[in-house]
Amino acid sequence: MIRLAWRNVWRNRRRSLINAVAMSFGLAALMFGQSLMKSLQGQLIEKATGSFTGHVRIQRRDIDEPKFPDKFMTDPEPAAKLLANDPRVLVWGRRIQLTGLVSAPKMSLGALICAVEPDKEKLLTDMSGYIKEGTYLEGRPKGIVMGRKIANRLDVRLGEKVVLMAQASDGSMGAEVFRLVGIHETGSESFDGQMVWIPLKAMQDMLVRPGEANQLVARLKKLDDAVAVAADLDSRLGPGSIGALSWRDIDREIIGIQAFQDGLLTIVLGVVFAIVALGILNTQLMSLFERVREFGVLMAVGARPRWIVRLLLIESALLGLVGTLSGLALGSLLIWHFGRVGLVLPVGNAFKYFLPFPSVIYLRPSWGMHSFACATVFIVTLLATLPPALRAGRLKPSEALRHV
Amino acid sequence: MSKAPHPAPLVEVRGVEKVYPGGTKVAAVRGVDLKVERGEFTALAGPSGSGKSTLLNLIGTLDRPTKGEILHSGRVVTKLGTDQLSDFRLASLGFIFQAYNLIPVLTAAENVEYPLVLRGVGAKERRDEALEALKWVGLESYADRRPDLLSGGQQQRVAVARAIVHKPSLVLADEPTANLDSKTGAALLDLMQALNKDHGVTFLFSSHDPAVLSRARRVVHLLDGELHGEETHDR
Repeated sequence: MIRLAWRNVWRNRRRSLINAVAMSFGLAALMFGQSLMKSLQGQLIEKATGSFTGHVRIQRRDIDEPKFPDKFMTDPEPAAKLLANDPRVLVWGRRIQLTGLVSAPKMSLGALICAVEPDKEKLLTDMSGYIKEGTYLEGRPKGIVMGRKIANRLDVRLGEKVVLMAQASDGSMGAEVFRLVGIHETGSESFDGQMVWIPLKAMQDMLVRPGEANQLVARLKKLDDAVAVAADLDSRLGPGSIGALSWRDIDREIIGIQAFQDGLLTIVLGVVFAIVALGILNTQLMSLFERVREFGVLMAVGARPRWIVRLLLIESALLGLVGTLSGLALGSLLIWHFGRVGLVLPVGNAFKYFLPFPSVIYLRPSWGMHSFACATVFIVTLLATLPPALRAGRLKPSEALRHV
Repeated sequence: MSKAPHPAPLVEVRGVEKVYPGGTKVAAVRGVDLKVERGEFTALAGPSGSGKSTLLNLIGTLDRPTKGEILHSGRVVTKLGTDQLSDFRLASLGFIFQAYNLIPVLTAAENVEYPLVLRGVGAKERRDEALEALKWVGLESYADRRPDLLSGGQQQRVAVARAIVHKPSLVLADEPTANLDSKTGAALLDLMQALNKDHGVTFLFSSHDPAVLSRARRVVHLLDGELHGEETHDR
């Protein structure tokens, strides 16, 4: 039966080829789209967590916006111990993140001040890699690093002094003089135009908050563990004022983007499947009408109706297999190629406002999704064949034999 | 111990009528009673529209009668289900069609093998039996050719081989020579006669061609769907 089915598939070579190619291109486009979306999302998550957010954070529960934890943990050390002792944590650090004022002789600007433990922060995020002038903060207790744009607006250069001001613990304004030691260029408006970085100890002194922090940030060995680790830490922290969050709780806009892209992908998936289904349905209907008499002969010879149905389904499965395998090969080739050379996308520039995001996306295969697409294309092929196959099975032999 | 002869005729048609659904309901076959015994070489004769093909289709279980019943070796087949009818045809009947109706993508041998494929016969045995049947029809050397590389006469001989390969009790042939020239048609009839005489294959075929009818040992005449007498010849 398989031999007959295979030969029947290629009976009308051109039609079958067009169908297989359409299926193949559809699947390859689908895989490309899946890979593009997932690679984009992957890069977005890596950049968001790798440039600032981290994988897991411990901070006060009673803050309005998890992204901006403006309330302090007066004793973060028990929580810090939890991070230090968790084998899933690669590196962790204390931070104080506050809005404040940075003043230079000619101008004062509002800024997002991020006070960090420099040696740990270098491992927590990749910000030190964006320093284009000067150095990072290690060994500079009164040093400050800022973005190129804010430095330009303040009209300050390396070695010059700026004054930082923020509200101290007693409600008064704390102020301190810092010397500009480094300028970073991430390409992101938010980072380069708003952020300044100083050592944590200097900030604690300035705000009269010795030993305090408003967040503990951790980078895990595996990003995928973030939700589980956060939940685990949160339960171990108990119902008190301090809780643990994963990056998903903090960068919720990324989850929104992800959901939007996944929805878009589902629509594209549906369209491709519909095209494949209609193509196959058309082919099988044409094939059915051309071969009605032949089915009559097969029935006369003794083939049961379900045998005819099975024959048509096998034909379809073989065509589906050719289309799916060639689509898989073509899709894999495309993903491999653009994984190597990268794909320049304007969407990268759109994200750049918020994040240091590259405009080049390097595609990575998402085999789980690709397998789903392949299986669905194959199943859709079979399902599209079912109506004409059942119709063929219902033919009456005498009528089929009279068919011209 | 000798086997007792089968008491029932090979085919028995009892009061069969066939009316096709449609606007004007005309009976293609009316009140037909007919018996065919084993080893017969019988022709159904009559002009176009006389009901020959309809009666052959009914006897061949390709269609169901509106009235009456048909028995094969004493078994009523008109009430069998679709799958049972398929199995019955596979076991007991062979068909030869006017337009040969070979499967174009299969070789001559593969076409002949087909009833055996449906029976689940193994590949080697199938091939041997198909080659044997092709040998009977003189086409052993054409076994690997596809139908489009065979002449009309050769294709019809392959169809004969396909009809007899599974050793059916009855071969039904609807106008088997209608698409062949007279010489090729005569050769095909020679072959059918030889299979009937030498191998005991029972043939029931239809034709309106006197040259074909002259070969039959029994000719049953049909007119407007009714039996219109019959004649037997000692050939």
